[in-house]
Amino acid sequence: MSNPYRLWEIQQRSNTGPYCDEDDFLPKIFTPKLKGIIKKYEIKYDPERLIPVDDDLADRVWQAGWELFREVGLYNTDTHRIIKVSDEEIKEALYMASDRYWVGAGKDAVLWKHRRVEDTEPPFCLFSPDCTCSEELHYSMCLAFLKEPLLDGFCAPILENSIGLKIRSASPFEINGCTQHIYNLRLAARQVGRPGVFLVAVGTAEHDSGQIAVSNNEWGVRTTDARIIGTLTEFKTADTMLNRVVHCCQYGCYSGNLTGPIYGGWCGGSEGIAVALVAYSLNGLCIYGSIFNQHFPFHLNWGSNTTRELLWPIASAGQAMARNSKLLYTSNGFSNAGPMTEMVFYETACHALVSTVTGWHLWEMASARNKYRNRATPLEARIGMEVGHAAARQGMTRDKANEIALKLLVRYEDRAADAPMGKEYQECYDVATALPTQEHFDMYRRVKDELSDMGIEFPY
Amino acid sequence: MLLKELSDAVESGDRDRSEILAGKLMDEGADPLQTISSLTEVMGGIGERFSRLEIFLPEMMQSGEAMAAAVAVFTPKLKKEEGGSSKGKVVLGTVKGDLHEIGKNIVKLMLEANVFQVKDLGVDVDPLNFIKEAVAMDADVIAASSLMTTTMPHQKEIIEILKDKGMRDKYKVVIGGAPTTQEWADEIGADLYCPDAGSASQKITEILKK
Ligand code: B12
Repeated sequence: MSNPYRLWEIQQRSNTGPYCDEDDFLPKIFTPKLKGIIKKYEIKYDPERLIPVDDDLADRVWQAGWELFREVGLYNTDTHRIIKVSDEEIKEALYMASDRYWVGAGKDAVLWKHRRVEDTEPPFCLFSPDCTCSEELHYSMCLAFLKEPLLDGFCAPILENSIGLKIRSASPFEINGCTQHIYNLRLAARQVGRPGVFLVAVGTAEHDSGQIAVSNNEWGVRTTDARIIGTLTEFKTADTMLNRVVHCCQYGCYSGNLTGPIYGGWCGGSEGIAVALVAYSLNGLCIYGSIFNQHFPFHLNWGSNTTRELLWPIASAGQAMARNSKLLYTSNGFSNAGPMTEMVFYETACHALVSTVTGWHLWEMASARNKYRNRATPLEARIGMEVGHAAARQGMTRDKANEIALKLLVRYEDRAADAPMGKEYQECYDVATALPTQEHFDMYRRVKDELSDMGIEFPY
Repeated sequence: MLLKELSDAVESGDRDRSEILAGKLMDEGADPLQTISSLTEVMGGIGERFSRLEIFLPEMMQSGEAMAAAVAVFTPKLKKEEGGSSKGKVVLGTVKGDLHEIGKNIVKLMLEANVFQVKDLGVDVDPLNFIKEAVAMDADVIAASSLMTTTMPHQKEIIEILKDKGMRDKYKVVIGGAPTTQEWADEIGADLYCPDAGSASQKITEILKK
């Protein structure tokens, strides 16, 4: 299904769904339901086992996520009503969902397919720095990422300024920034010889107006591209998000549902994150009409997801969805450390490895806790994608991946809280050529050799 | 003994029990200020456990509510005796165009746990609304959260409007949120920047003393 599921029947529930005071939704409905469901399905986090191999557990996580979504629904903060979807509707939407989509255009189009547990098809590689950047570096960063050979799709950094003027959300300055963003992207794509490459754009649009302003097959975001539409943490939405849903459906481009369930927040611990990831995916399918789900669960204090309490739910939810659905979903890495540190390479490798063998596609890499301007580069993403390709091609088992991932964790886990923030893009990339400095490249190569010694069989 | 039980009720987030026990304590003639200050200490410990994620947000929230219920029992008496127990009144919100609310909500909890009276304006709050609400509440502090570089200018706008209205000295303006910094606070003339929720209540208490 690339058409949205019963668009207007679902949208209308923003007006007709059950009323709920916003202050009550999370503490009185969401968290108690989630806790009960975790108990009912006997879902238990095991810190010693990053990647569970218990298929029954995976299936229980799936059922639990389904029940959570059906019971809790999605809260619209503008109308104070809950959009609810029934069992029968979830079934219908899942039946109608396609397990593959052509994304991108012309010779650059890629067939993006559902993956299974321990799948030997490599993951779809969506490169993204996920950070904001200075205006003068934006084009160079676009080039640098689009030069990456394994790139199947790209989401560019977010502009802070445009024509030297600070972008203010929902204002004319934002629309101006969005125009610049997509022009930079399209030009960079053309210059590297991939004019039709699949873009997820534009991140500079924080408001729906900015997003809508750049929908244009000629010069803007094309119908072969995708938009990201956020679900507010946890299980809330707003009209500004639903405006994008309707716009994407009617304009005819793809969309992905962006979610960031928080470890330590309303989901509680690892079990809650696993269940929420499944439930969020059903939200993306049934309410947002998205063809993929873009998940970045993260640690409340660290803003990362490369430590065991986050890797376990990623592995569990991935298997749950791989075994029980045809959905597409990307695992969005958030590292503690910043660019050009060995730590960021280990973290990304570990995140990509765990995600790949458990059915995910890859979206790498939000470096340095996704917090600082210019602090992400293509090189950490590259190592993640290379690990993903290698692990899939060699048919790596969950057990083997678990063993390697545990070894990698030893190298960084105790530094999660005070990780090095590394360098900014222009300090470890040549801005003119958009290539890594020798020192940066050498560090990447060293870590890659180390990974290879651990049993990851890179083809090159 | 009763105080210990009340502390336990707060710790386990049992709102109803906390309310009942606070009532009993008051009947026994316990000193409201002292009781509240020991509960604040208990809550401080809970806050610390939360900052290490030994407990999670929902548990801390429940404890906060249990504490608030106990404080509410003592408030009428306090008001009579000392003219109020609150350390200060705060209007809090996430600025216009910004829907990020998690950090702001944690700040709210921490402030309430430390006996501030907080009016939460939610997210996407117009700069002028911060001010109108501050006037309506007769607030001491305007606290604004921003998670995006593109919405940070609205923090500045609050201060600019206050100046234009000739009201800058009436309120302390406190800012926070991941992309904000001390430098930004200095640049826009905010009274206080807090990098996290944990430090907020103490720092606000300090600037209110000045
Ligand atoms: C979670 C998250 C989301 C969630 C938000 C859920 C919610 N209901 O709040 C979702 C998925 C919905 C989301 C959506 C979007 N997001 Co967002 N998001 C984040 C993320 C990863 C974490 C924020 C968070 O909650 N952290 C956890 C809390 C606890 O930390 P905190 O907020 O910093 O708060 C602490 C302190 O700062 C302090 N504090 C905070 N406020 C205040 C206030 C006062 C007065 C005081 C004293 C202290 C204080 O106390 C808190 C506790 O210690 C950040 C990246 C980051 N590292 O911050 C991006 C980020 C903020 N998002 C970003 C973007 C771009 C978006 C979207 C536009 C994406 C899109 N293209 O649609 C939309 C924005 C929609 C909108 N108009 O607001 C960008 C902003 C870029 C920029 N221009 O600066 C960021 C920085 C990511 C990035 N690096 O690009 N996002």
